[in-house]
Amino acid sequence: MSSLLSGNRRRVLKGAAALGAYALSGPGARAAGKPFEGVELNVSCWSAPFPKLLQGYLPEFERLTGIKVNYDTPGFLIYNQRVDLELSTRGSSYDVLNITFIYVDRWLRAGWFAPLNDFVKDEGATPRDWDVDDFLLATRKIMSDKQGNLYGIPWTCDCYMAAAGRYDLVTQAGLGMPTTFDEIEKVAAATNKDGVAGFLGDNRHGWNFPPYLQGFGGNVFRRPPDDLMPTLDTREAIAAADFYSHLLRDYGPNGVLSYSYDQVTAALKQGRGNYATEGHIFLMPAADPDSKEAKTVRYSMFPKGPAGQFPGFATHAWGIPVGAKNKRASWEFIKWAMSKEMMMRAVREKGYSSPSRRSVIQSPEFRKRLTLNDNDVSDIYLKTIDLAGGSDYMAYRIVPVFPQVDTIIGQAMERIVSKQMSAAESMRQAQASAIADLKRAGIRL
Amino acid sequence: MPAAGTEPGIGYGIDRRHRAALLAGLLPALLLLVALTLAPALYLFVISLTPATPTNPASLTDFSAPAQNYVSALGDERFIESLWVQVKLSVSTVVVQTALGLGVALLLNRGGRLVGALRTVFLIPTVLPPIVAALIWKVLYTPDVSPLHRTLASVGAPVASLITNPDTALWAIAVADTWQWFPFTMLIILAALQVVPREPLEAATVDGASPLQLFFYVVLPFIRPAIVVAALFRLIDSVKAFPLIYVLTSGGPGTATQVTNYYAFTQAFNYAYWGYASAISVVLTAAVFVLSALIGSRGARAAAHE
Repeated sequence: MSSLLSGNRRRVLKGAAALGAYALSGPGARAAGKPFEGVELNVSCWSAPFPKLLQGYLPEFERLTGIKVNYDTPGFLIYNQRVDLELSTRGSSYDVLNITFIYVDRWLRAGWFAPLNDFVKDEGATPRDWDVDDFLLATRKIMSDKQGNLYGIPWTCDCYMAAAGRYDLVTQAGLGMPTTFDEIEKVAAATNKDGVAGFLGDNRHGWNFPPYLQGFGGNVFRRPPDDLMPTLDTREAIAAADFYSHLLRDYGPNGVLSYSYDQVTAALKQGRGNYATEGHIFLMPAADPDSKEAKTVRYSMFPKGPAGQFPGFATHAWGIPVGAKNKRASWEFIKWAMSKEMMMRAVREKGYSSPSRRSVIQSPEFRKRLTLNDNDVSDIYLKTIDLAGGSDYMAYRIVPVFPQVDTIIGQAMERIVSKQMSAAESMRQAQASAIADLKRAGIRL
Repeated sequence: MPAAGTEPGIGYGIDRRHRAALLAGLLPALLLLVALTLAPALYLFVISLTPATPTNPASLTDFSAPAQNYVSALGDERFIESLWVQVKLSVSTVVVQTALGLGVALLLNRGGRLVGALRTVFLIPTVLPPIVAALIWKVLYTPDVSPLHRTLASVGAPVASLITNPDTALWAIAVADTWQWFPFTMLIILAALQVVPREPLEAATVDGASPLQLFFYVVLPFIRPAIVVAALFRLIDSVKAFPLIYVLTSGGPGTATQVTNYYAFTQAFNYAYWGYASAISVVLTAAVFVLSALIGSRGARAAAHE
């Protein structure tokens, strides 16, 4: 990091020189040459598959544009803490940053990222066939404000779906892939035997519980993002908490409360668990050649609850901090990283499984990659994202105070699963805690 | 009033120059101490008087309600609960580690190569980075991969996960903490044992004292100050317990293992309530100071009495 910071002055000087050359050269010369030759960009994103694989292609970008890229991918928590601090000072240390899903509202509402509309609409900066509308609507909605200004170009989608690793046991019990919450209960109960846990779930309850909560007709807040009164102690929320914790407590493996997502993946691959509702990237490895469940796994969309179907959805995007000195060069990087060609190459050459462009998702290569044990998971992937794009049910997740409520939901679920409290008691305590924390954050309830 | 015939002020002047020279010698170290230790602590206190949060830079200098964070803490049930969890963890670990350290030190207080080698082996956990110790126990406490759980299951005595059970989670952390830190108390007490003079021991033996009497009436009074110091160090460290809790339980299940230190961490780094987290940290620091002073003065009085 120090190298990034210490390089500031030099970068600014080089950037200014490049801009000067750009201004003097005229459109014809710019088109022919490298208008950003000598510019340095500081780019950062948390450590995820796409930004990591992109790193391998950076020399191509540098050769193509003459731009030098200082690139780092720290862990998720470290990245968010570091960037939160950097953005709050409106600093100019970074030229391109990831806009983290759960910080969207906080970072965008504070005006910490520059709108990208001017770049996207300017044919001089962005060719028409780059096609911003190719990015799935759900992802663009998340990264836009109410006026329709777009602040981030999404590079990933995380879709909540379901997998039955031991579908053979499900069919033996005379059942099929669950389409409702009631059927989840039946499948988990029927397959919870002989060393196989009927249900698997990780300890990120703030991510895993809301799809059940909304399926029961509840929500985290009354009407996010405008009315943030927590609604964790409603009848629907208590029923959902009771159901969700029952699945974990009665059909989960030993120590399920400490399960991380990779333990869920490992349990599926080792044949120690059957049914799981999770983000798609953690369920897909069950069909890998080294998985014991490769021949028996089956996938589906997240089932419907009494009030409907609300699979979780998340996305992250490249954005330009308002303090960035050379935003055109920043856009040059984003345009290159998020082009159709680059995303297609990521799928084809690196097996990337979470693209955000519709054309890539519907391509034969991606469909082939996501056809797992004869299941077309790409279809589930697209339907889930389109479902999220068709309404605003994910709005709860991108409000600035969600991190507080996220922790509170996790603690509430743990109290119920570990039998410290009933669902009603625990959710009432969660509601009281959430109200106290939101008031501390200055939210008017 | 100086006596007649003496040269008034000479001794005084020498003392003054002597003190000034000492001060000049100490000044660089004092300045360093202020810059590195006291200034950040003072800043922590100043921030605790504001509603500081990074999303609102103006909040860092908002002193309109300086006591607000402290008032909030008094009414915050989760903070009070975290203090209680902290007390349970601190008392249990300090008592067990001191007792175990004393016992093992007594066993190792003799010559021989084997005993020397054992001393080294016992010290290994203490020199491990805390995060490594936490990972070792994470493996041991995770039923999927734990050799402990697997062995018990293979002999027909499976054990439910200890870190996800609210009745055992805190004690599981205490066991891991004891494994890592009792060698530290052992080392301090062993050092004290090795300088216990032989004469009173031999005299008491000649007088027919039993081994227990020797320990309680001769050895213990000699090593008591060392025991107090070791316990004090562990008490202060127990309040700083973080890696074990972060890695093993994240404060759960629910809030069963959420000590005050961890609560302050979540307030600061998960929620960005810097002002409130600073107030909690100030309260915690003050409590440790008071406790340390109390224990230290009692220990000193006891030593002086003996």
